[in-house]
Amino acid sequence: MNIENTQSQMRKGILEFCILSVIRRGEAYPSDIVEEMKAANLNIFEGTLYPLLTRLKNADMLTYRWVESNSGPPRKYFSLTEKGLQFYNELEKTWNELANAVNALAKKTESLPDTTNQNPSF
Amino acid sequence: MKKIININFQGRVIPIEETAYDLLKTYVDSLRRHFVNEDGRDEIINDIESRIAELFSERLKRGSACITDEDVSAVIASIGRPEDFDEQDGESSSAGPTTNTAGSSSNYDQKQEQYSWTHATAGKNTRLFRNADDKIIAGVCSGLADSLRIDPVIMRILFVLFFGVSFWIYVVLWIVVPVQSLKTKVTKRLYRDPEHRAIGGVCSGLAAYFNTEIWIPRLIFGVPLVISILNGALHGPFFNFHHGLGFVSGSLVSTLVFIYVILWIVLPEATTTSEKLEMRGEKIDLNSIRDTVKEDLQGFRGRAEKFGAEVKETAQQFASRTSSFAQQSGQRAQSFAAEAGPMARRTGYGLGHFIAVMFKIFFFFIGGCIVVALLGVLVSLFGAGIAVMPFKDYILDGQWQSLLAWCVLILFIGVPIIAVIVWIIRRIAGAKSRNHFIGYAFGMLWIIGLFCLIALTVAVKRNFDYKARVQQDFNITQPLTGKLIVKVANSAVQYYGAWWGGNWSGPFNLTDDSLVVKNVRVKIEKSNDSVYHVFATKSSNGSSGIQAEGFARTLGFQINQQDSTLYLDNGFSLPAGQKFRNQQVLVTVQVPIGKRILVDRSVSRRYHWFIIDRGRYDDWDWDYDSESSYYYNDGVEYIMTPGGLERTDGKDKKHVSNRRNNNDEDNNDDNGYNNNRNNGNNGKAERYRYQQIEDSIRIKARAKLREEMRIKDSLDREKKLKEVIKTSSVQTRKNSAGTNDDGDMPGNHLIFSPVLIFAIR
Repeated sequence: MNIENTQSQMRKGILEFCILSVIRRGEAYPSDIVEEMKAANLNIFEGTLYPLLTRLKNADMLTYRWVESNSGPPRKYFSLTEKGLQFYNELEKTWNELANAVNALAKKTESLPDTTNQNPSF
Repeated sequence: MKKIININFQGRVIPIEETAYDLLKTYVDSLRRHFVNEDGRDEIINDIESRIAELFSERLKRGSACITDEDVSAVIASIGRPEDFDEQDGESSSAGPTTNTAGSSSNYDQKQEQYSWTHATAGKNTRLFRNADDKIIAGVCSGLADSLRIDPVIMRILFVLFFGVSFWIYVVLWIVVPVQSLKTKVTKRLYRDPEHRAIGGVCSGLAAYFNTEIWIPRLIFGVPLVISILNGALHGPFFNFHHGLGFVSGSLVSTLVFIYVILWIVLPEATTTSEKLEMRGEKIDLNSIRDTVKEDLQGFRGRAEKFGAEVKETAQQFASRTSSFAQQSGQRAQSFAAEAGPMARRTGYGLGHFIAVMFKIFFFFIGGCIVVALLGVLVSLFGAGIAVMPFKDYILDGQWQSLLAWCVLILFIGVPIIAVIVWIIRRIAGAKSRNHFIGYAFGMLWIIGLFCLIALTVAVKRNFDYKARVQQDFNITQPLTGKLIVKVANSAVQYYGAWWGGNWSGPFNLTDDSLVVKNVRVKIEKSNDSVYHVFATKSSNGSSGIQAEGFARTLGFQINQQDSTLYLDNGFSLPAGQKFRNQQVLVTVQVPIGKRILVDRSVSRRYHWFIIDRGRYDDWDWDYDSESSYYYNDGVEYIMTPGGLERTDGKDKKHVSNRRNNNDEDNNDDNGYNNNRNNGNNGKAERYRYQQIEDSIRIKARAKLREEMRIKDSLDREKKLKEVIKTSSVQTRKNSAGTNDDGDMPGNHLIFSPVLIFAIR
């Protein structure tokens, strides 16, 4: 068990939630999503993002719209569907619970009760 | 100076350097492969491509004349490589341990996949499979190692060490355990490496195959050669193999040279790129090409990252950058350590692998020998079965047994022949059977054949259960000369070429309407009165006592007398329809004391005495009646004395004394004879007892032994008399001429010796 592995596992779990929370705020272009996440100090490759978007879209969480751009072909802008919004809300709820729980555990500083005098019982 | 080409990329015209185009193409291909199992694969690729195209056109808009290598690298860096996605994408399928250091770790991951034995599969495979991906012979060892989670090399070494038992374990597992791809290692092939050749490139090819340094195989092949040359030089111009080291290295050298030449002939040269990759055990799919290209890209990428970082750097980012750099360098060190481990393992693995492959050659050699021998045995059994078929009417009883016999022949013997041949052909052709139908079918048929064999054996054995003996007396006129000669009459009709194209002289003679059996033996006993008695004991087996007695009675065996010569029938014949039930005729000649007997050589030449031992009860007392019967040599005249049979020429006395006293100096016949005479009665009595003991042992075996002893004796003598051999034999002839009326045999042992010496030479 190494630290990178655990870290990347933790990141993987929240990636979809992060993407949805960016798109929730309005129509988003993938590179914008990446920028947003970078700004929040969460580095992600666009190559990781595209398959996730496609999966979410195929699961009817997202929809997209072609928007004419001034620099060439139209771009794909993603937005949440009803279902996606519900999904996001669920995820947010879970995340908050999780974050609270984790924080509560992680922030506790007092040491555990002394075990030296207790016999371990199984 | 670079060539620029225009490409149509997602509906945009992009001027791009040719090298940059190659990078881009490789990159897109790698993406395509990465997403090959995704549902929206084309859509994802399209999205990414149009994003790349967008980035490119932005760059062009900013004033670049074309897209350069650096541009492509920058784009790739921002979008990420497939192996980078694995780390971030929750649904990726990589099971191997991943690290966060994008660039440096990817190479490591690749190696991890290729060379780690357990990581990828240990969790999944506890069931035993033969490993199709890593096999020396059939993947049994690596499959076992995989399920036990140990190194296959260790397993292989164990198998090699306990070769005797493990050979069969291996074969059984090979048959029983199914094969499956356990994805531990890419397949490698042995090539000759023309780039690093010294002689034929065999050693360098082996080194590449086993991931070892070239000097290791060269040392293995070269050192014994050098030693043997030195050895040869030390021992003069001729190779002297009397010394242990010289012999060992000599045979080793010839083996190694043989192996080298064989490998040189057999192994192809690795000329194309894919062959070279295969030689080193690298996959020849696009992935490996991606890797090689990626390794080239690594430099570009690093520079681009640095460049981008420098441009973007703010004070805050700088801080975070430093910390992440520290982190990265730590990871790098870690990954280096992780990489060094497998490298070290690989070297060890290479040596183990080398031993294993050398053993494989040995294994296949042994296996091949066994298969060939098996095939030979089966074919000859089949041939023998076919040859015995004419006999079957004499042995088998009724339709059923006949049918069973055919079943045994075809199913029990024929089916394995076909199976082995089929197997060999499949091996040679490299065909892999999808279903095991043929195998099961062969197995079933063979088992049916086995049951037929058992049934047939039981049925036939039942027909031999009882034994009966009938005695037939012959009235003979007493010979006036006091000497009886026993001969076997010539057959009225002689058959040639009836069997195996030759003069069949076995115990049977098969004609169209009858089977002539020559299971006859002549026994000499002491007569109780003063006349010769001759009687024949005819015996037969049968399914019941009455039947056996019937068979014995119907046996036709005649003795004709002409003057002092008895002519025995040349065997007895069983007419068609009658069964062979181990009929035997034992002719007993009782010789009165003081009378002589000569059993002609034709007796042993024409008769073939054999015993079918049923193990039920012993016929010892009948066949080899030690109390009253005597051992004799054919073609030798004997005289009956109160103490037993004695040669009239006295050869046996000398012979016995020679052997007993181990009297090597006694190389003169006269001398030996006289010595014995002087020994007197004591020696005689001893000799008689000696003979009696001998008689009680199977006569034929004993006779052989005696002959051998005699040959030995005469050989010893021969050594000393090498130069005067002729004079000696003439002398012997003189000695014996006086006593031997017929002049038939001038002393057995000297007849043998020149022949034997010739044979030895």
